[in-house]
Amino acid sequence: MAGFLARRILQAAPLLLAISALVFLLIHSVPGGPLAIFLSNPSVRPQDIERLRRALGLDRPLWEQYWAWLAAFVQGDWGYSFSDGRPVGMRIVERVPATLELVAASIVLALALAVPAGIAAAVRPRGWFDRATTALAVAGISLPSFWFGLLLQIVFAINLGWLPSSGRTTFGGGGLLDHLQHLALPATVLALVQAAAWSRYLRGSMIDTLAQPFVVAARARGVPARAVVLRHALRNALGPVLAIVMVDAALLVSGAVVTESVFAWPGLGSLFTEALARRDYAVLMALLMLASIAIVLFNVAADTAHALLDPRVALR
Amino acid sequence: MNASPHVYHQLSAFRTGDITREAGNTNRRLEEQKTRRTLSQRVQEKEKDKPFDLLIFCSSALALIVLVVAPACVRRSAGNAPSNDLLIVGYDREPDTLNRFSTHILEDIQTCVVEGLTTTDEQMKVVPLLAAQMPTLENGGVKLRPDGGMDVVWRLRTGVKWHDGTPLTSADIKFTVDAINGPNYNPESTDGFDRIASVDTPDPLTAVVHYREIYAPYDIQFIRGMLPKHVLEGRDIDRAQDYNRNPLGTGPYRVAEWKAGEYILLERVADYWRGAEYPHIRRLMFRFVANTNTRINQLKSGEVHVVALVPWDKLREIAGMPSIVVHKTPGNAYEHVTLNERQVPAFRDVRVRRALLRALDRESFTRTILDGLAPVAHGPIQPVSWAYTDAIARYPFDPAEARKLLDGAGWKPGPNGIRERDGKPLAFTLITQAGFAVRENIAQAIERQLRDVGVDVRVELHDGTAISSLWFEGRFDAMLHWWQMPADPELTTFFAADRTPPAGRNINYYKNDELTRLLYASDRTVDREERKRLLHRAQAIVAEEVPELPLYSITRLDAIPATLQHFKGNPTNTGIFWNVHEWVVR
Repeated sequence: MAGFLARRILQAAPLLLAISALVFLLIHSVPGGPLAIFLSNPSVRPQDIERLRRALGLDRPLWEQYWAWLAAFVQGDWGYSFSDGRPVGMRIVERVPATLELVAASIVLALALAVPAGIAAAVRPRGWFDRATTALAVAGISLPSFWFGLLLQIVFAINLGWLPSSGRTTFGGGGLLDHLQHLALPATVLALVQAAAWSRYLRGSMIDTLAQPFVVAARARGVPARAVVLRHALRNALGPVLAIVMVDAALLVSGAVVTESVFAWPGLGSLFTEALARRDYAVLMALLMLASIAIVLFNVAADTAHALLDPRVALR
Repeated sequence: MNASPHVYHQLSAFRTGDITREAGNTNRRLEEQKTRRTLSQRVQEKEKDKPFDLLIFCSSALALIVLVVAPACVRRSAGNAPSNDLLIVGYDREPDTLNRFSTHILEDIQTCVVEGLTTTDEQMKVVPLLAAQMPTLENGGVKLRPDGGMDVVWRLRTGVKWHDGTPLTSADIKFTVDAINGPNYNPESTDGFDRIASVDTPDPLTAVVHYREIYAPYDIQFIRGMLPKHVLEGRDIDRAQDYNRNPLGTGPYRVAEWKAGEYILLERVADYWRGAEYPHIRRLMFRFVANTNTRINQLKSGEVHVVALVPWDKLREIAGMPSIVVHKTPGNAYEHVTLNERQVPAFRDVRVRRALLRALDRESFTRTILDGLAPVAHGPIQPVSWAYTDAIARYPFDPAEARKLLDGAGWKPGPNGIRERDGKPLAFTLITQAGFAVRENIAQAIERQLRDVGVDVRVELHDGTAISSLWFEGRFDAMLHWWQMPADPELTTFFAADRTPPAGRNINYYKNDELTRLLYASDRTVDREERKRLLHRAQAIVAEEVPELPLYSITRLDAIPATLQHFKGNPTNTGIFWNVHEWVVR
């Protein structure tokens, strides 16, 4: 087990190195650099631009900039934000709790929807419930979250006045209830998309499992149907779905970019949007590398979890 | 998988028994089969007994209710109404820094905290703030030196203290100039400061600024305020996070809290220099809501009270709300089409440029797309400026005249209706920033109307950062955009022949020696009347020559609570908070 983990993480190192070079090249080749934003102010003159370019080290050759970044990054020095001059690590750390909170809430909600729906659909394939959830899932996967988010705001915040339209807290309001109210809409938007996909995976996995001999046998020996489905089949069907959930979770952590922006949620996603608009290379590099690392780690975690759930899968 | 071996074991035992019985009696075997059938039937019946579908459906519905609807059961008191205790501003972005000299976005939040020697009022007039009076030639505050330089004497208002109680003195003015011109600080711009040779401080309330040359916009040199010497002396200002995140100022408010990604909260100071009654509003909150639709939704739901710079296409959405007033300020900027003469040879012919302007029905843009909000502009200086003149050439919509001009310039209609000369079509690409509905519509209207006179236009949309680098490198044919114009009517950087990028913003690449001479002369004229005369002449030349196509003046829309009084607005990038100390909610 420990050997497996060590090997997988070592294998990831060259991959991450290649990703870092590629990402560095890509973000530097996007038109308009961190100084472009200064240009629209007429009182910023060419000599100002030149001075700022040197101050930010952007006048050096690209490979030299990359090397300097890499050397510092592996030592844990992520540099300073090009836009507000604060350490990149600090800018990221202060955004992590909001993102974790949103992602955790949406995963819980998505699982609460997807698992029962997936099971129910698999128990009676092509039944009315299966057909209904299929339609809903297609709708859920196709919903553009920026549009759906705004729609929920109009209904729940403006028309009904039940929930706040956006943000994480009401100033001076505080309290758990206020927090949950702010969480409700963005978590729902994220959860519905995930639930739609996950319920389909679980349905497929459950149908396969329910057709296996041990399930037939369990039924035959008179095990109550609920126990057959929930105790015998579900455990086996959940493995592959869990792997997908883990990878999706990594993607969510690295930025529910659109949803966070629409709901002014102060997490990593809105930090990414802001950094991208301002071409804040230091913050962009750190966020993209963290995302890559998260995806690698969650993949390893997903494999491990799958193996723990299913003894047929061995860790090698 | 631990359940499976157990199941298989049971199953095999059952089969063994089956076979034994089979050996005994065929009837019994048939009976057994019957039993097995009924067994499987029973299983199915059991399944029907346990209606999974419903059970699971109910539990998922329950999960939804618990997680989403339950917290909502308490109906919210539709946000906090705006009050003299708390006014919430929906702000389109989080500032990079609150240091006014370092930031590259609007200084709305900073103006509440850090005050300049001067500010601009709602008429765009430069008025004294921390200065006791405006230095001018007449009152002896500005002296032209025989060596071609000039001296400006700034007298500070008495009794003004930094928020920490330290008196504001002329030493702070000197420190600011030295820091900005020094090697250890990287402000956004050193414009104007780099023309200052030195600053003398004969007494704590007097600073004499020695310019190497005559500098007309001296009056807004210290509009961004001063850096406090006693806090920043000897420090790396770029990394002085204590100051940059929470600047020491003299204004009506100080920063109470900056919650990253969420808001900045300002709190009134106890002994503001204007008197203890100011400011009237205790706390101002700037909430960062980058998404425009969300910001408008927050305004509608009452979660924010003020939204500055409302996009024009959102006006109708909020115009009917009784709790909101939309304040309209004629702006200092103008939307126009830049014609890059370096890239498109056809633009070098003044007949073509005039024809393009004649072909555009700008009145119809104003009536339709702009919803009557933005009047047609005829030149780079807008009516709000003291330097404006309307005694210039104008080009009303006249497509027949446009066609005649193009014919005269040798551009004849080709087989597909597009004009050609020497086998080359009259065609160009019009770039503009993506994401502005109004601008995208205007671009399409231009495309259509120029097509009517035989000019082929292709519209390309780019994101804001990408478009900046395109124009800075001159890699475009034509561009639809506006500049943020400062309060001073300087046009040199936009039209002087030697100010093409990277030396300036003459991205028309237009060259006219007389205009260049006039513009430089006006920059070096402090006498207001003389400068006005020079700028009127410059505007007449620009109107005659049409180096760019002026479309309409920008109107600033700011949504404020109907109960807010003494809001005045501001046409410049000084922003609406310049008189925030007077604001009061009734």
